[in-house]
Amino acid sequence: MNVSYLFRELTRRSSRTLSAIFSVAIGITLFVSLQAYAGGYREAARAPLSEVGADITAQRQGDVPEGFTGILFPHSVAPLHRDEIEAIAELPGVEGITESLFFWSFEEDSFVAGLGFDPAADFGHGRLRAGLIEGRFLDVDDSGVTLVDASYATQNALSLGDMVIIIGNSFEIVGIVDTTRTGQIANANLYLPLADAQAMSAIAPNVLAVHDMRPDDANLIFIKSEQTQAEAVVAGAEAILGKKALVSSAESFGEQLGALFDIIDRFGVLVGLVAFLFAAGILVRAVAAGVWERRREVGMMRAVGWEKKNIVRQLLGETLVIALVGGLVGLLLSWGVTLMMSQATVTVPVPWELSPSPHFLPGGAEEVAVVVPLNAKITLELALAALGLSAVAAALVGLWLPGRIANIKPAEVLRSE
Amino acid sequence: MNKVITAKSLVKSFGTVTAVDGMDIEINAGEIVALMGRSGSGKTTAMHLLAGLEQATSGKVRYQDKELSGLDEDTLALWRRENIGLVFQSFHLIPTLSALENVAFPLYPSDISVTERTKRAESRLEMVGLADRATHRPSRLSGGEQQRVAIARALINDPDLILADEPTGNLDSETGKEILALFHRLRDEAGVAFLIVTHDDEVAETADRVIRMKDGKII
Repeated sequence: MNVSYLFRELTRRSSRTLSAIFSVAIGITLFVSLQAYAGGYREAARAPLSEVGADITAQRQGDVPEGFTGILFPHSVAPLHRDEIEAIAELPGVEGITESLFFWSFEEDSFVAGLGFDPAADFGHGRLRAGLIEGRFLDVDDSGVTLVDASYATQNALSLGDMVIIIGNSFEIVGIVDTTRTGQIANANLYLPLADAQAMSAIAPNVLAVHDMRPDDANLIFIKSEQTQAEAVVAGAEAILGKKALVSSAESFGEQLGALFDIIDRFGVLVGLVAFLFAAGILVRAVAAGVWERRREVGMMRAVGWEKKNIVRQLLGETLVIALVGGLVGLLLSWGVTLMMSQATVTVPVPWELSPSPHFLPGGAEEVAVVVPLNAKITLELALAALGLSAVAAALVGLWLPGRIANIKPAEVLRSE
Repeated sequence: MNKVITAKSLVKSFGTVTAVDGMDIEINAGEIVALMGRSGSGKTTAMHLLAGLEQATSGKVRYQDKELSGLDEDTLALWRRENIGLVFQSFHLIPTLSALENVAFPLYPSDISVTERTKRAESRLEMVGLADRATHRPSRLSGGEQQRVAIARALINDPDLILADEPTGNLDSETGKEILALFHRLRDEAGVAFLIVTHDDEVAETADRVIRMKDGKII
C-alpha cells in the first residue's frame, strides 16, 4: 500500500471521502448513543439499590393487619425467620446480608413508621450514617434511642434530646438524618436499634394476630451479591421465602421504568447494529461507486503492472482510513450526544411494597420515586466495540472488493475512445 | 536484428466476432513500427494481445526469450511492469497525483525505495522535457504535456518496447509531431522499440515500418 497515494486520493477527492466518513460516523453515533442511553437507564434502575449499597432486597408478603392500633406490619413485610435469613446468607454468590424490621405504630392520635436496623452494617440502612445532619449515629449497643427523619422532625417540631413514645416505650432522639440517602427504600420516620424494634414487635397483638413473629425475626433484608450471580441469588431467595416472596433487584427496578426502557434494553443493541449496518451499506456503496468511477484508473493500474492484491490493498487501505476516521468522528459525535443526554433525569418509581405507608393517611398512596441523572456514558468497551464495528465495515468492503476489481478488464476500459 | 516481441498465428475472438485473425508480427529492437488500419480493423486488440492485456484465443506471443501465452493476469502485470511501457490516447494519468508521482506510479507496488523511484521519475521527466512541471497535477497540464508525462511513465522501467495506442489521437497536429519526434529521440538515444497503433497516415509515415490490418488480418 502506498501511503502518499492513499493520502492524496482521500484528500483530493474530498467530497466523496467526507460523505463516506459521514456515513460511518452517523452509524457509529447511532450505535454508541443508543448503547450509552440504555446503559444510563440500566444504571438509573440500579440507583435505589445502589444508594443503599445493596444488589437485592428480600421480603415476604403477609396478611393484612386485623386492626390498626399499636405496632403492626404492612402486608408487604411479613416476618422473615432466622433460619430463612441464614439460608439466604449461605446462597452461593451472596457476599453480605443485613436485616431490618419495618413497622407501623398507631398511637391514639398519631402514626409513625419505624424501622429497626443494624447500625454497624455498612450497607442497607447502615448507609444512613452518611445522611446524619445533626447529633450522632446509633451505636451497636444502643437501646432506647432513635434517629429521626429530618422532614418528620420538622413537621413534628422534634429536636435532639426530645423523647418519642412507641407503644409506651420512650426513645430519645440522638440524631437527625436525611433519609433520601437510602434510595427511598423502607423510608421511615424513626430509625431505632433492631433489637428494640424486634422486642416491641414480638409482643404486639396486631403483629401476632396475623404473623408467626419470633423475637429475632426481621422483615426486610438487604443482600450484596456477586454481579454475575445476582439472578441466581434472586431465584434462591425466592425459593427459600416461598410463593409470597418479594425479591427486588436492579432488573425489577428496570421493569418499573416501563416500556421505553424495556424496548431500549432489549432492542438497543439490535437497533444500533441495524443502524450501523445501514451505515456500513452506505460505505460499501460509496466505495463501490468510487471503484466504478475509478475503473479506468484501476484498469491503468493493471496495465502498468499492479497486481490485483496491490490494488485491493490500496483500496482497502483507503476504506480502512475512512472507517477509522468515521469511527472516531462518530465517537466524538456520540460524546456530544451523551453529554446532552446527561442533562436529563430518570425517575425510578419505588414500588409501594418496598416503602409502604398507610393508604388511608394523607399522601400515603403517593408513589415514592428516586430521581437520578441519566448517566449516559461511553465506556472504553463501548468505544472499542464501535471502532471494531468500523473495522467490520471495512472488512466487508475488503471481502467484496477483489471480485469487483476482477470484473474490471483493463483492455475494455483502456480502449481508445 | 534482435527481436523484442514476436507473435505467431494470433487469434482473438469475441463470441462469433474474430477481432484478430491469424496475425504474425515481429518487432525488432530500436524499431518504430506503425500498426495501421481503420476503426474496427483489430489493431487495438492486436496491441492488447501483445501487451498481455487480453488473452489470445489461440496463437503465441513471445517477448525476447519469454513465452507469454498462458501466463495468468498477475504474472503478465508483473511482466509489463518490468519490461514494457504503454501509452494511451487518453493518457490515463491519475488526477490526484502530480506529474512526478504519475511517472513513478508503476513502481509504487515494487520494492524500489522512494528515493530511487523519485530519482528515476525525475530523470524520465527530464527526458521528456517536463522537469519544471514535476509538481503539477494533470489538470494543470496541456494535452501534449499530459501525453509526455504518460510517455515518461512508460519509460520508468527502462523498457525495450513501448506499445502506444493512438498516442497523438487527442493532440493537435503540432503537438502530435512533437510526441513523434520524442519517440524517435528515445529510439535513437535509448534504443527503445515502438509499436504505434494509428489510423493516421502522417503518423505512419514517420515509422520505420508500417503494418496494415483489415478485418483482423495483416494485409
